[in-house]
Amino acid sequence: MVTDGLEELDFGTLSAFDLRGTPIELFTAGEGAPLLFLHGMDGLEGAAALLRVLAKDFKVFAPSHPGFGGSERPGDLDRVDDLGYFYLDLMDRLDLRQPIVVGSSFGGWVAAEILTKAPERAARLILLSPLGLPTADRREARVADIFMLPRAELDTRLGRSALAPADLSDERLRRAMRNDEALSLYGWTPYMHNPKLAGRLHRIACPTLIAWGAADALVAPAYRAVFAAALPDADTLLVEEAGHRLHADQPGEIAARIAAFAAR
Amino acid sequence: MIIWQFTEQAYYPAFREPGAMRITLPQQRCDPVEAGRLLNRYLDEYMLADELGLNIMVNEHHAAATCMSTSCLTTLAILARQTQRARLLALGIPLANRANPLRVAEEIAMVDALSGGRLEVGLVKGAAYELFMSNRQPTGFMERFWEAHDLLLAAMTNQGDPFSWAGKHFHYRTASLWPRPIQQPHPPLWMTASSAASARGYGKLGYTCATFLSGAVARSVFSGYREGYVEAFGHPPGLDRLAYLAVIACAGDRETAFRRAEAMKSYFTTAARVDPQFRNPWGFSPVEANVRMLQAGPAAMRPRMRNGKPLPVDGSIEDYMDAGLMFVGTPDDVYEQLARFNEETGGFGNLLMMGQAGELDHADTVDNLTLVAREVAPRLLNLPDRPLDVRYEAVG
Repeated sequence: MVTDGLEELDFGTLSAFDLRGTPIELFTAGEGAPLLFLHGMDGLEGAAALLRVLAKDFKVFAPSHPGFGGSERPGDLDRVDDLGYFYLDLMDRLDLRQPIVVGSSFGGWVAAEILTKAPERAARLILLSPLGLPTADRREARVADIFMLPRAELDTRLGRSALAPADLSDERLRRAMRNDEALSLYGWTPYMHNPKLAGRLHRIACPTLIAWGAADALVAPAYRAVFAAALPDADTLLVEEAGHRLHADQPGEIAARIAAFAAR
Repeated sequence: MIIWQFTEQAYYPAFREPGAMRITLPQQRCDPVEAGRLLNRYLDEYMLADELGLNIMVNEHHAAATCMSTSCLTTLAILARQTQRARLLALGIPLANRANPLRVAEEIAMVDALSGGRLEVGLVKGAAYELFMSNRQPTGFMERFWEAHDLLLAAMTNQGDPFSWAGKHFHYRTASLWPRPIQQPHPPLWMTASSAASARGYGKLGYTCATFLSGAVARSVFSGYREGYVEAFGHPPGLDRLAYLAVIACAGDRETAFRRAEAMKSYFTTAARVDPQFRNPWGFSPVEANVRMLQAGPAAMRPRMRNGKPLPVDGSIEDYMDAGLMFVGTPDDVYEQLARFNEETGGFGNLLMMGQAGELDHADTVDNLTLVAREVAPRLLNLPDRPLDVRYEAVG
């Protein structure tokens, strides 16, 4: 497994460890209260800007999800429901008894799966533009279909630059293709959600902050309202001048909000 | 070499409007009465092929103006009854896009029984964009394909009591085909390849291997197949194991043949009209293949002309002939072009002939099929055949 060459993560340590036979990529940085960060569709490297600020206040643990980036995937792990159990094993292994848990986009879905299974395992939960609930009601879509959108439009909606194969190393391209493959594995159908999750969200007991970008071009307002209503103890926050990738669009403000919410 | 008549059964009135021909094409552009008229016309042409002594191949696509056959076996169920002699080839059934492979086995058995044992069954990966219609999982696609294949074989060859199946992807409490196929142990199986590596695998299975519109690549596909076949069976395969698909435009004079070829060329230009985000769904191709494709660029997958340059989609008829995708001219011309291509590729026993394509009308199609059947087919039966061990070559 190659984990070097991610210069945007030069403020911490990128390493690999074996979790029950599966090599997992882990980025650690900073000192302070433990914080588990669960990345979104753009992978671990996509969250670098937010992690850099969070590392000033927290000891950040940021793994690549199985199948993403430099992390392998156990062959029978193919649902985000499975990822929930996988991360409980990972938290045991890293001795993360009750960290701050932050999940962005796809990672927000992962966070919800973990904490519906073991609600006691987080001191605070912060969900940034989380996925995981039904993305449509029959013909009425609430989350745009990333697999159907032209690449250029998807990049625009996510506020990111297009992949430029000519400028990227083999390893960078491989990471990008692995991220796409993993999103397809976990999110193709049913599209980016677990039909069982809504009925489990009441189990999340810790104080929760759920944040959305005011200019989110993937997730419709109706979806956001359903998510907030399903959580028993949630503050909601709408961040101006931010889209779906809150971690990339407003890293400073998001890190400050996380620090304040963690200290509450 | 024997010939199989094939048409994609296009709804070609839709070709005139700009835009995608697949997936996102608005439905109001289809006049269902006109669609029915065209479908019946294509069936008439298949029946003519049967009368002329040609065999028959059908395919399927979904949400496409380029192909109105949405189920190989539905089309062949009609032809099973309405034809007398032709072998009936489904090429093919996109097995990993089917939710219920036991249902596929039932349909195969029914068509084989109806046709008196004339069915041949192609099991294909299918075009990547079909995943948007089937909505089956793109990841693990081939693992699912092979489990469905194993189940299909188990169902077709079962001679005794019903059986149950508990696999990773499919579960059946009880499986039993009524009727069961006439052809034992099962109808002949076909697969399609566009590389030596995949053909080698089919060679080991002994299934008939077809390559579509691949030009010079056909030679390495066939070589890979022979290598795999020899490895598994200890002797070279017969030519009947190998097939090549191309467009054939034949007429009494060259001018008419080229006019027909122009009408057929819209097959190529419309087949390419699909929005780019649908061509390679996330998770469908292996990561390493995607990395190589990104590095190689979009032209890498195009067939090549003899000068090594990629064949442009809007190339001339001469360009398409040069690349080995179209064979055009008088019966003598078409025979000579095919004999040369046959020699260059190391020989194949099945010509999958697009005898109707694009906007070629009924009268031209009838004349095309008739000329090929009467004046080209008899000569292709007796192509000079050098022994396989002379032209056999290993590939990397």
